[in-house]
Amino acid sequence: MEITVDTPAILPARPHYITTHKGYGRRKTTNGVMLSLTGLATLLALAPLFWIIGYVLYKGGQSINLALFTQLPRPVGMAGGGVLHAIEGTLLLTLLSGLIALPPGLLAAFYAAYHPNTPLGVALRFGTDVLAGVPSIVIGIFGYALLVKPAGHYSALAGAVALAILMMPTIIRTTEEMIRLVPGNLREGSLALGAPEWKTALRVTLPAALNGIVTGFLLGMARAAGETAPLLFTALGNDRFEIGRMLRSGQSLPVALWKLIEQPVDSLPLTLYKYTQQPSAERINQSWAVAFVLLAIVLLANIAARLWVQARSAKLRG
Amino acid sequence: MNIATNLSTTQSISAPQTQTGAQVNLAVPKAQVTALPAKMELQALSVFYNTFQAIAEITLTIPANQITAIIGPSGCGKSTLLRALNRMTDLTPNAHVEGAVTLDRENIYAPGVDVVDIRRRIGMVFQRPNPFPMSIYENVAYGPRLYGIRQRKVLDEIVESSLQRVVLWDEVKDKLGQSGMALSGGQQQRLCIARALAVEPDVILMDEPASALDPIATLKIEELMQILKNTYTIVIVTHNMQQAARVSAYTAFMMINQNRAGTLVEFGQTSQIFTNPRNKQTEAYVTGRFG
Repeated sequence: MEITVDTPAILPARPHYITTHKGYGRRKTTNGVMLSLTGLATLLALAPLFWIIGYVLYKGGQSINLALFTQLPRPVGMAGGGVLHAIEGTLLLTLLSGLIALPPGLLAAFYAAYHPNTPLGVALRFGTDVLAGVPSIVIGIFGYALLVKPAGHYSALAGAVALAILMMPTIIRTTEEMIRLVPGNLREGSLALGAPEWKTALRVTLPAALNGIVTGFLLGMARAAGETAPLLFTALGNDRFEIGRMLRSGQSLPVALWKLIEQPVDSLPLTLYKYTQQPSAERINQSWAVAFVLLAIVLLANIAARLWVQARSAKLRG
Repeated sequence: MNIATNLSTTQSISAPQTQTGAQVNLAVPKAQVTALPAKMELQALSVFYNTFQAIAEITLTIPANQITAIIGPSGCGKSTLLRALNRMTDLTPNAHVEGAVTLDRENIYAPGVDVVDIRRRIGMVFQRPNPFPMSIYENVAYGPRLYGIRQRKVLDEIVESSLQRVVLWDEVKDKLGQSGMALSGGQQQRLCIARALAVEPDVILMDEPASALDPIATLKIEELMQILKNTYTIVIVTHNMQQAARVSAYTAFMMINQNRAGTLVEFGQTSQIFTNPRNKQTEAYVTGRFG
């Protein structure tokens, strides 16, 4: 292979088509107009968010009291009472559905990230996209057919399974994206030391992607915590639900826990939905308070996760 | 960096030339023999991605306890060649290797060879420092733990000696619990070398180990290589010809042929490659006329 550089004998004449320029005035005006438009659009997009949060805080804040967090509901028409059953139910359902969704979600995400072009990988990606678009009430009916009908009764477990199915696509897709973002040479560094692939995934790739995975997991949980439709057919509602009473009942812990998840359970959105249907000013006011509590739980969980993620990144970067 | 005198003392030892790989084609030309005991030998090594041949029948001998540089223009297959030397090519889907690579006269591609053992004995350092997202201590202890070392005392010793060998110990001994990713780029790269040393390899492959570093960090890596070559065999891929000239005793020059496959153009002592190349293309490249 000879190395030559081709130099044309005669170069074309230097062009001079560009003789004027329009100056910066017009550019500045255009820039100003477009910037204002995008700024306005941003404000418009943010307005509902702050409106909703502000209104719920305002209306809910008026009905917030200690009893709300410590007492079970009283019959309609009686003043007072609280929504302890729904707060506990929401925490239980969210936690349980997270526990159910996390292991398969994580493993499936690793599979999809490592084998994106295999038939199973493609099917998984397509499947999660479809599942993400399935109306949540359909998942509720599925949960009913799968767990409620055979068992003969509604249960927290059925609700948690329905919510787990609901959050699975979010967990799988965000985890997969985060795993893909881990630099390939990190994985190779481990494999080059002779580490097996599973150990590399567990000890190197997972910690490197953990911040994003936690964020994605939390998004899934937050969505599940706010769902009503799938619970109508699965968890049903239970205004006598009380974790403390169940744990103090003298039964051994596993039995008590099992009883806890195999009875119907209430949740904040479910309670909100039911309370707003009631012809009672007390209930309407309480439903605002319920909205307030739901919003607060989701926001606090998000803030806590963000702080944790920030602290972890800071520690890793030194 | 007195290459000439280094070599003259060992000139009389002839490299053992053996064909051990079962699938080696005996008709291929013999390696350009070096005058030193061979640590690794490439015998008609070809690498394919699907049907595309990225490396075409490269035969060369990597002398023990020396630094061998692989140079050549971008895309000539240097990194592919390096990755084939510790079977990292196994990890690339659709890649396959023909020919043989021997380590201490055993073909690492022979059936039944334990690839984990090969990767332990042939360590690798990458272009971008890639410390794991864990503490400095854990980064170094990661490898030994893979090989079943559990006692804290032994791990402590390995971590300390590995970090000392890369001249990083004094800089990090008071902050072993800190994240490895918090170090500077040059320190990170030395940490990665320490991590490779901790599993007691014989050979260290370095894929442009200093190209992401500033000149001072580069110099430290190069000085480190000179210390390490006394106990390890080093193969370095580099874009930087001055670096190859500075650090290596032997140099392989690669280029792509008309089928775009990487071929070995010339292999010899670095002093000869840079001052008296036999091949016109080598001369054009090392004098900076192309590439």
